[in-house]
Amino acid sequence: MKYFWLSFKAIFIKDIVAELRAKQVLPTMIVLGMLIVWILRIASEASSVSTTVIGPVALWIALLFAGLLAQERSFAIEQQQDCIYALLLAPVDAGTIYLAKLFVNVVMLCIFEIIIIPVVFLSFPLSVQNRWLSLIAVLMLGNIGISSVGTLFSAVVQLTRTRGSLLSIIVLVILAPMMIPATFALLTLFGVIGAQVTGSGTLAFVGSFNAAVGYMTAFDAIFVVACWLLFGFAIKE
Amino acid sequence: MRRILLLLAFVLLLASMWMALTLGQITPVKRNTLYAHVPSSVCALLCFVVVLVGSIGYLYSAKPTWDLIAAASAEVGALFATMLNVTGMIFSRAEWNIWWTPSPRLITSAILWFLYVVYLILRASLPRSQHLRARVCAVFGIIAFLDVPMVFISARFMPDIHRPSFSFDSSWQTAALVLSMAAIALLAAVLIWLRTDLLKNTAKLEKESFC
Repeated sequence: MKYFWLSFKAIFIKDIVAELRAKQVLPTMIVLGMLIVWILRIASEASSVSTTVIGPVALWIALLFAGLLAQERSFAIEQQQDCIYALLLAPVDAGTIYLAKLFVNVVMLCIFEIIIIPVVFLSFPLSVQNRWLSLIAVLMLGNIGISSVGTLFSAVVQLTRTRGSLLSIIVLVILAPMMIPATFALLTLFGVIGAQVTGSGTLAFVGSFNAAVGYMTAFDAIFVVACWLLFGFAIKE
Repeated sequence: MRRILLLLAFVLLLASMWMALTLGQITPVKRNTLYAHVPSSVCALLCFVVVLVGSIGYLYSAKPTWDLIAAASAEVGALFATMLNVTGMIFSRAEWNIWWTPSPRLITSAILWFLYVVYLILRASLPRSQHLRARVCAVFGIIAFLDVPMVFISARFMPDIHRPSFSFDSSWQTAALVLSMAAIALLAAVLIWLRTDLLKNTAKLEKESFC
């Protein structure tokens, strides 16, 4: 266990320091996020109703695409000068490499959110009615979900010809079921829909805010465990 | 053997079609889409189970045959998922006057189709070195299967515009559905078998041309 923490910490610090020194991807993520938010803000001018609906959606889309950038980078930097072989040769369990990389990506997304959330609040007339803790919880669950699948397949797509574009379709298709409760949770938090939805639509499928958080937690747990177990197979040379 | 099975599948298909259009006719006529829709949805889900089994089999034993079975059933599954969505859309347009609506079951069926398509794209874009491609596709097959139970659950238990099951008026209709189910399942099995063999031969050919 002690060895696990030691190697986990080493990989985590290595990646964070490399990012802080090179400033490769964080500025790109932030600018991309801002651009997405502002472009959607222009589109939402059509009516006042769409402003409140598009606000949370803009936040969510910005998060998804910025997350993809972070994940693509997390193994692309290992390809330079074949660092990946050194990492694989090191006496570290493959699962530990995965968890450390996952944690790096989650931290990157958190830094991104600290900047993008004020931008969303400046651009759209939104309020969360003192439910900041719930918002942070939902975003954290989203971060973990987005990063779990992306980190695993980031290692894989480095071997393909199309790389980043392939990563985006893989991550989006696997996360598609998780998008339903995640969108529901964000829309509820910003007061666009009520806490309970009944009927036969997709939002009624989720039902209530607590159910949405439950679904997201379940998805996170399943994906993190499955990816952690399969990571060894994905990178084995 | 395979030819006989393929022939049998076609005979069964014709028989089920005949029965669906005569004795087992559902009124109004547009609801007869069901005889193609239900079996292809079942096959689309079952093909993903085969993808999962092939993927786990490959990661466990590293035998290329498992990978080829998974690839073949992904191709066949993509075919049936397309049929599922297309017949569903035709039915929906005839019955409710909309092509598509974001209801849970329609969304999850679309996700199923996307999963198959992404599997095939991933397979096509990986380099042809067998072990690498097989391993990566197996990992994707397993992770993607985690979404499939959700498709199934939404189709059975959730409140939806789409009915969970159909109640028939006569036993002829049940017989027609069972017959078409058997025909399409047999067709899917034979197609997977054929494709697996074809992929096996392609791999062999590539290996020889490298030498």
